[in-house]
This record gives sequence, C-alpha cells and structure tokens, in this order.
Amino acid sequence: MEYTHQSSWIIPFIPLPVPILIGVGLLLFPTATKNLRRMWAFPSIFLLTIVMIFSIDLSIQQIENSSIYQYVWSWTINNDLSLEFGYLIDSLTSIMSILITTVGILVLIYSDSYMSHDQGYLRFFTYMSFFNTSMLGLVTSSNLIQVYIFWELVGMCSYLLIGFWFTRPIAANACQKAFVTNRVGDFGLLLGILGFYWITGSLEFRDLFQIFKNLIYKNEVNILFVTLCALLLFCGSVAKSAQFPLHVWLPDAMEGPTPISALIHAATMVAAGIFLVARLLPLFIVIPSIMSGIALIGIITVVLGATLAIAQKDIKKNLAYSTMSQLGYMMLALGMGSYRAALFHLITHAYSKALLFLGSGSIIHSMEAIVGYSPDKSQNMVLMGGLTKHAPITKMSFLIGTLSLCGIPPFACFWSKDEILNDSWLYSPIFAIIACSTAGLTAFYMFRIYLLVFEGYLNVHFQNFNGKKNSSFYSISLWGKEEKKKLKKKIHLLGFLTMNNNERTSFFRERTYSHRINRNVKSIRRLFLDSTHFGTKNLPFFYPHESDNTMLFSMLVLVLFTFFVGSIGISFSQEGIDLDILSKLLIPSIDLLHQNSKNSVDWYEFFINATFSVSIAFFGLFIASFFYKPVFSSLQNLNLFNLFQKNVPKKIISDKIINILYDWSYNRGYIDAFFEVSLIASVRKLAKFNYFFDRQLIDGIPNGVGISNFFIGEAIKYVGGGRISSYIFFFVLIFLLICYYIYLFP
Amino acid sequence: MNDFPWLTIVVVFPIAAGSFIFLFPHRGNKVIRWYSICICLIDLLLTTYAFCYHFQLDDPLIQLTENSKWINFFDFYWRLGIDGLSIGPILLTGFITTLATLAAQPVTREYQLFYFLMLAMYSGQIGPFSSRDILLFFIMWELELIPVYLLLSMWGGKKRLYSATKFILYTGGASIFLLMGILGIGLYGSNEPTLNFETLINQSYPVALEIILYTAFLIAFAVKSPIIPLHTWLPDTHGEAHYSTCMLLAGILLKMGAYGLVRINMEFFSHAHSIFCPWLMILGSIQIIYAASTSFGQRNLKKRIAYSSVSHMGFIIIGINSISDTGLNGAILQIISHGFIGAALFFLAGTSYDRLRLLYLDEMGGMAIPMPKIFTIFTILSMASLALPGMSGFVAELIVFFGIITSQKYLFMMKILITFVTAIGIILTPIYLLSILRQMFYGYKFFNTPNSSFFDSGPRELFISISILIPIIGIGIYPDFIFSFSVDKVEAILSNF
Repeated sequence: MEYTHQSSWIIPFIPLPVPILIGVGLLLFPTATKNLRRMWAFPSIFLLTIVMIFSIDLSIQQIENSSIYQYVWSWTINNDLSLEFGYLIDSLTSIMSILITTVGILVLIYSDSYMSHDQGYLRFFTYMSFFNTSMLGLVTSSNLIQVYIFWELVGMCSYLLIGFWFTRPIAANACQKAFVTNRVGDFGLLLGILGFYWITGSLEFRDLFQIFKNLIYKNEVNILFVTLCALLLFCGSVAKSAQFPLHVWLPDAMEGPTPISALIHAATMVAAGIFLVARLLPLFIVIPSIMSGIALIGIITVVLGATLAIAQKDIKKNLAYSTMSQLGYMMLALGMGSYRAALFHLITHAYSKALLFLGSGSIIHSMEAIVGYSPDKSQNMVLMGGLTKHAPITKMSFLIGTLSLCGIPPFACFWSKDEILNDSWLYSPIFAIIACSTAGLTAFYMFRIYLLVFEGYLNVHFQNFNGKKNSSFYSISLWGKEEKKKLKKKIHLLGFLTMNNNERTSFFRERTYSHRINRNVKSIRRLFLDSTHFGTKNLPFFYPHESDNTMLFSMLVLVLFTFFVGSIGISFSQEGIDLDILSKLLIPSIDLLHQNSKNSVDWYEFFINATFSVSIAFFGLFIASFFYKPVFSSLQNLNLFNLFQKNVPKKIISDKIINILYDWSYNRGYIDAFFEVSLIASVRKLAKFNYFFDRQLIDGIPNGVGISNFFIGEAIKYVGGGRISSYIFFFVLIFLLICYYIYLFP
Repeated sequence: MNDFPWLTIVVVFPIAAGSFIFLFPHRGNKVIRWYSICICLIDLLLTTYAFCYHFQLDDPLIQLTENSKWINFFDFYWRLGIDGLSIGPILLTGFITTLATLAAQPVTREYQLFYFLMLAMYSGQIGPFSSRDILLFFIMWELELIPVYLLLSMWGGKKRLYSATKFILYTGGASIFLLMGILGIGLYGSNEPTLNFETLINQSYPVALEIILYTAFLIAFAVKSPIIPLHTWLPDTHGEAHYSTCMLLAGILLKMGAYGLVRINMEFFSHAHSIFCPWLMILGSIQIIYAASTSFGQRNLKKRIAYSSVSHMGFIIIGINSISDTGLNGAILQIISHGFIGAALFFLAGTSYDRLRLLYLDEMGGMAIPMPKIFTIFTILSMASLALPGMSGFVAELIVFFGIITSQKYLFMMKILITFVTAIGIILTPIYLLSILRQMFYGYKFFNTPNSSFFDSGPRELFISISILIPIIGIGIYPDFIFSFSVDKVEAILSNF
C-alpha cells in the first residue's frame, strides 16, 4: 500500500523512455529505426497501460482512505531560493491520470491504424508518448513551478503535433498561432506564480493555500495586488482551455492529425486549464471577485463557442468550437464553486469528445480516399452525407457521442451537464438561462453535424452539378515526392469531383437554405438523382468504406465509457448515504452551493430539472433535424416548408437573422480578424519601426561618423596633397579673408 | 604540485602551438585541421583536469594563482587566477572554441591563417577570464580583438569589410574608455600604480570619481555585451561572419562584456553600481523588448538570430543589476546557457546557409523534407532559446525573474514594472523564433534546379550539435552543476552591497 505511494513519483517517467529512445534512434540511425516502425508502438502502449494500472490502484486507495499523499524532495538549493520538486497525489490527480491514460491508450491504439501509412509514424509516437509524460507530470506536480514546467512542455507537444504535417502551410501557421497564444497565457501564469511567491514566499500548493488564507484573514495583503496576481494565474488556464479572449488557437489547432485532436485538443491538454483552476480553487475561493470573473469568462465562452459552432463547414473545427463551449461549462461550474460538477463534466466530456473526434477521424480517413488529402476537402461536411450506409459502426458510435454531448439521459454528459445546470440555477438565474439555452444550441449544432455527415446521400458525387470540370486540386501531397505518383493516378478521378471554393460555399448556402426554396428542391433533387445514378454506374468502388478494426476497437471502448462513465457521478442516495464514487473521491474538496442543502438531493427535484434540460436538448435536436434533414428524403418536410412559406414577411426577418448568425459564425465571430487587425498589425508596425529606428538612427551615428571622417580625410588629403599652387591659393584666400574682416570690423 | 603553472599553460598553449601551423608544409588542409582540433582538445582537457583536481569549489577565494613579475618599473605582474565566477566561462570557452574549430572544417581559403587565428582567439578569450591584474586584463582583452577582426574581414559574406570595420571601430572606441578607466583606478591614490585585483577591490574612491570610472568601464563593457544603444555592430558582424566565427562571437565574446561587468563594475565600484543599477535594470528590460521586436523585422536569418542574442543579453543585465543573490546567479547561468544556445543556433544557421545559399528568410521554405535532422535540431534549439523548461535557458530566465522579485533594493512598483516588461519578452521570443522555423522549414517548395542537391547533416555536424545539446539539456535538468561553481563567489561579491 504504502509502497505504491512512495513510488508514485515514477508515474510521469514511465512513458519517458520511448520518446527518448525513438528520438535518439531517429536522429542517429534513421533507417534502422524506421524499419522497426510498429515495434515502437507496442512499448509505448504497454508502458501507458502500466501507468493506467498504477493510477487505478492509486485512486482505489484514494476512495478508501481519502487522504492526500505527498513527498517532496528538494532539487536546487540556493540560499534565497529553493526549488523543490515533489508530487502530490490526491483525488484530482488520480482522476486526471486515469483519464489521461485511458484516453491515451485508446488514442495510441487508434493512431496505430490511422497513421500507419504516414511517413511520420514514429515521430508521431514520439510526440504522443512525450505528451503523455508531460501531461502526467502536470497532474502529479506539487508546486507551481513544476506545474509551469510541464505546462510549457505540454504546450510544446501541442505545437509539434499541430505542425505535424509541416508541409501544409496552414498547419505551419496554426502551430505557431497555438504556441504564441499559449505563450500569452504562460506569460500570465508566470507572472502570477511570481506574484504569489512574492506574497507568500512559497510555491508549494498546501503551504501556499495555508499562508495565503492566513494572510487574507489577517488582512495583511494588498487586495488589489492579490486580485491582479490571481487574475494573471487564471490567464494561464484561459489560454490553455481556450476560454474567451484567447480561444483563437483551438479551431486552427485542428490542422493536426485527428488522434491528436482527440487526445490533446479535446480530452486532456485543454482540460489542463480546468485542472489548474480546480487545483488552485482554495486560492481563488478566498477572492470572490476572481470567482465571479471565472464564471463570467466561462459563460461568455459557452455562448461564443456554441454560436460559432453553428455554421462551420469543417467537421473538426465544428467539434473544436463545441469543445470550447463545453470547457466554458466547466469553467462556469468552477466559477460557481461547484467543484464536483466541473470535474464530473470534465471526465464525461473527455470521453464523449474523444469518441466524437475518433469518429470524425474515421470519417475523414474514409473520405480521404475519395476526395484527396487536403483538409479542405476531407474534413468538409458539405461533401459528406449518407455515410450511414458505408460506415455503420462509425455512425453508431458517433451518434452515441452526439447524444451524450447533447445531454440525452442514459449517456455520460447528461448527468454532468444536468448537475452544472442545476447549480447554475442556484448561482444566478441569468447565467442559468444562458447556460440552458446554450444547452439547446449544443444539441442543435451537434445534431447538425450528425445529420450533415450521416444522413442523405454522399454529396461528393454531386459536386459537379454545375458542369464544371476544374482542377483546383493541388497536387502537393503530404510528404512531397514520394507520394506524388500515387496521387497522379487519382487525379483523373479527383479532377472532376472537386470544385473551387466559391462554388462550394454557394453550394453550401444553397443546401442549408434549400428547404425554404421550394422550387429549388425539385431541381436539386433531379440533379441529385442524376448524379447518384452516374456515380453508381460508373464508379462502383467509389464509396467511403468503414475503417479497420483497430480504429473501431478503440471507438467501441470509448462508446462503453460514454455509456457508463456517467454512473460514477449518479448518487444512489436512498438511505441518506452518498454512494457515488465521485463524491467519495472528492469529499474533502470545496462545495459552495450545497453547503446548506447537503443531503436534500431528492429524486423529485432531480427529475424536474432533468426533464427540463432534456426537453431543451430535444428542442435543439428537433430544430436541427428540421433545418438539416436531407431535403429529398421525406415528403413531410416539404409540407412543413409550405407551411412556413405562407407567412412571407416573417420569413425575411428570420432569414436576415439567420444570415447574420451564419456570417458571425462563419467568420469566427470576427475575433480572429480583430486580432489580425489590431494586434498582429501593430506588432508588425512596431517591428518595422524598430528596424527603421535601429538602422537609421542608432546605426546612423557610427555610419555618419565614418562618412564624415572619410570626407574630412579626403579634404585633408586634397589640401595636403603637396601641390605648391594650392598652398599658395589657400594662403591668398585666407589672407584676403582676414583683410576683409579687418576692413569690415575695424 | 600546486605551484605548477596550470593557467599559464592553458592560456599560452593554444597560441604557441598554433604558431607552428605556419611551419607545416602546404599539403592540403587535412593535417592542419586535425592538428588544430587536437590542440583545442588538449587544452580543453588540460583545463578540465586542472579544475577537477586543483580547484576547491567551496572556496570563494582566488585559486590556482600565479604571480611573476613581468615589467619591473611599474609593478606589472603576470598574475593569473580563477575563482567561481570565471571557471564557468573558461570551460565554456574551451568547449565552444573546440567545437567551432571542428565546425570550421569546410574552410579552404587561407586555412593556415584561419586555424592560427582560431587558436589565437582561444588564448585571447581565456586570458581575460583568468587574469588577475587589470593591465593584463586589458592586454588580453585587446589581444582577442585582432584575431576577431581578421576573421571577420577575411572570411564571410559580401559586406564583411564594412562589418569588420564597424566592429573594430566600436570595440576600439570602447577600449579607449577601458584604458582610461584602468589608468584611472591604477594611478589613483598612491604614487605607485596598483594593478592588482585584490588590492583594487578594497580601494575606495570619492563618489564623483567612482561614478566617472564606473561609466568608463560601463561603456567598454556595454559595447562588448551589447547594451542598447551600443549594439548595432553585432547584427552586422554576425550577419556577415563565417559561422564558426559567429559561434565564437555569440558564444564567448558577448559573455566577456557581462563578465567584465560583474568582475570590475560590481566588485570595484559597489557604490556606483548601486546608484546605476535601477537605470541599467530599466535599460535591460527595454533591451529585451526592443531587440526582440526588432528581430522580427529582419529578413536576414543570421541577423534575426543576432538580435535574439541581444535580447537574451538583456536578462544578464537585469540579473546583474538586481543586486540579489538569486539574480546574479541567474545572470551567470544565463551567460553559460546563452553561450551554448547562441553558438548552436549560429552553427545551424550557417550549415543551412551552406546548403541553401539563401540569406533571406522569405526566399526559403520547405526545407524540412530534404534535411530532417537539421530541422529537428533547429527546432530543439529554438525551443531552448525561447526558454522551454527542461533546457538551460528556462532555468536561467526563471532564476533571473526570482532575482528581480527577491531583491531588496527596489521599490514595489519598480519590481512590478520590471517584471512585467521583462515578461513581455517571453511572449515576443517565440514569435520570432517560431517564424524562423516556419519560414525555413515548414511549407513546401519545389526545388527544380538540378544542382541544388541537398544532403542532410553529416556525422560531423550532427556531432557538434548533439554535443552542444547535451549540456543545454543537462543544465536544464540539473542547474546545480553551474550554481555550485558560482554560489559562494556570488555571496562574497554581494556582501559588499
């Protein structure tokens, strides 16, 4: 028992040998290492499994003992400053480490198949294992400096993995954007750490909380300064968890391979911000203004993420915005002080979103064979549709993930989201109304994805319906020369299936609005029918296929998780005893809202609330199906359109609203553009100005000195050239001048 | 055994052995190449041996001292000795110079002179770090300028003469101030000139004189470890020089200025230092921001890296002027750490220039596929330079930050302001470093010209970069190794304040 605790410092270091070995191997013996290829995947999965068993063991002990183990050893001793390294295992750590390892293992298994044809297979596994190492290090760290160290390492892994396909210019931009945006957060985090070190003189969590509380009660600190420091600390998690002002990197981060999006940008790394706030909650809770600030940022992010997710074309970006919105829920819950609900949602959301991302990866994988490797095409939902037939298992798991995220009862996210919504009613009605309506919006956009991808017919085949055969297709493959041949074979197939961007957007618009334009429906339908006919006749093999078993396996395991993870937070408290695991884990933690009504969670209240939230979810779901139901599939819809068309004036207004909403969402809420115009441009201007200043002014002085020296030297050379005539000339000149002055001023 | 002149051998050996190069027959540069590398290695091993066995780490006093009269009538001694402050830079010098000599193997033009100058640099760089007599310090300081000037003016880019002239003007101009300062403190107070460091430390001056002398030394060292606005020689020089010269310049030469600031300005003029340090601290934080933001206005790759090293030197200045134990230790760590990182970055920039023959970043692109190894190492080093944890740069910057906030000299608002402005630097640093990476390596480019046959870095280049990487990561994980040199000495210095 005790032994596992004493040796639990090893948790982050268990997966470390793999990246070191592969990295050294790739650098020194590239060909030999590359030949081993798959051999390297097994040890990384194996080591991660060991960590998982370890952390499950730890958390079981946490349930039994509910105590915090901590061993600290010092690392660098200076006279003034001692950097101590240690580890802190508490319930939060054990939850997070189980989460990281389970999702990590599944994603590793998945990516073995997903990346199997990629040239960077080994590099991918190196980065992944290193990411796991640093993420585990982050959750087990016991002081702020350690948190900062692993925080940065995690950010670097994210940078490397977003830029994994470095030949894509978009990926190159995206990874830099992600790193720099995260660095802005780290800037805050570092300053916050320094500030708290200044105030309390300690970096270690428990000392820090203790000293800080004492200081606050004795009123010995400048409250303004403390608030500033806490705000700066919070800034770090704002960037990492993609909260409102610093969320811009997350959608772009979807340029990375899909397993990465599942692991890093949905389940673990972005949850690190939530983790940090949860870890520092004892600190924040003393300062009420910070708590309300956290809640405010949370609610803004919830709404923003949900509205931006409405009109994305790219399936992964859509999911990214949804992640952002869900993270906003967690942040909101933390801001309200309901620690338990936030962590519960963190867990359930991680599994559901990982499932969704893996599902979307499977879809992309199958679409890639048809539309080409450009993310513009393979991730474009407009080109998908009707995948139910071709990928039934993917469809099933994706549907389950969608339902879970929408908050439909038996699935995981329902329980946690319901809890957050309940708590928000207790906190503030305004926030609660916003949160609830956004829950409806969540259902809407999630179902929109589902319907666009899986219902109807495969839209790739209808692309050429305006008769143009073009080739905007760019022939640069992912890894350059090697795959060029392979692509060339496809060009004749792909050429007529692709169309350029404008047409596609117009098509998209048409599709989204087509339900209202009755005339168009017929023509489109005719076109559709024609093209399907054409498609099936000529190219029978030309359909997406289901992914292979390795990928399906991890998705199915995640489906199981999505089904059952919710049960750890359901309270079976009939006899007045809390039996749910989560509460047991989190007993010593903070609960602001339920202080009075601790034991009064009765089923009736729960049922009322649940019905309410589920009905909202269903409402969103219904709206989505009303909008995005494939136009040609049922007659019933047509009747509805006719019904709507009767009141024309209303329609124009609603059209306008919808247009505005779509524009807002399509342009990412103009926030990226704002940053582009304000920040980046001004930094560029500053750089240019500085360069000018440096060249012209500072450098001008020595250059000027040099040039003037040159001229003086030339002049003296000329004068002292040894020509008698010039000497005489100067003599005469000076003589005349002197005479002139003497005569002028006697 | 202790009176064996280790330091004299270490200082004199490279230049003495290097002068034999000219006696070698003109039969290809292979022999000379290996000869000079062997000399470098032997010298490095000698240094390490001497430091391992004849140097006590826990003693803040000067050790391995050598005293022998050189010029009789004005009391000029050949006086060498090292302490915790100088041991790190000397080891760094040995390490970087050896690697730079190894990196210079492709040089074929006037190779005899080139290798001789490299070895002369070796002596000239160890000299100032180990001399204990202020006139000897000056002589060594000047001795090292000549090889640098020749290296700059003979090997390098198109505008090398311009930049070499600029370099010599700047540093020569600074040397005047240095000489004035040295004469001032040498001749002050007594009839006989006092040039010994030990006696000079205890000397006290009237405030006005102290300030004047301090300013003179400050200007001299500010040119060397560029403090704005005296930094413009650096981008030009680094942009034009051959990359092995750049390694020496960025790795060691800049550190001499910082070393001088600690050794002379802090130790001799503690009052003036405490008057000047708030202003220098502000200057340092401005320098970090200014150089970083100038850096991403550059098109030239080497100049961009050069500005990045100007920016990083700002941390050293802040650390030195924070007048706290932690800050000064951080500054010394930053000296070592930037010595490695800067040298390695210039080396990689040079090797990729050798392959691409392109200077401007916007003409490059898509190099990751033809040369993955350089890409990998360049990425790691950029991360090291932008202070990624686990690498030496992070520890140094973090400790400088702690130095600012633990220093007792400054007011509350001042500390907040300095910390804040300095921390903006950590946002700006990744912008330019990652844009370098993006513009050089990411993306895709067709290299249609048949003669552009790239090859990835060979074993020699890989060896150099890995042997620089190992100490970077090593210090990042276990910084106590460097601190163990300097902690006691730093305490001794700060006890004057």
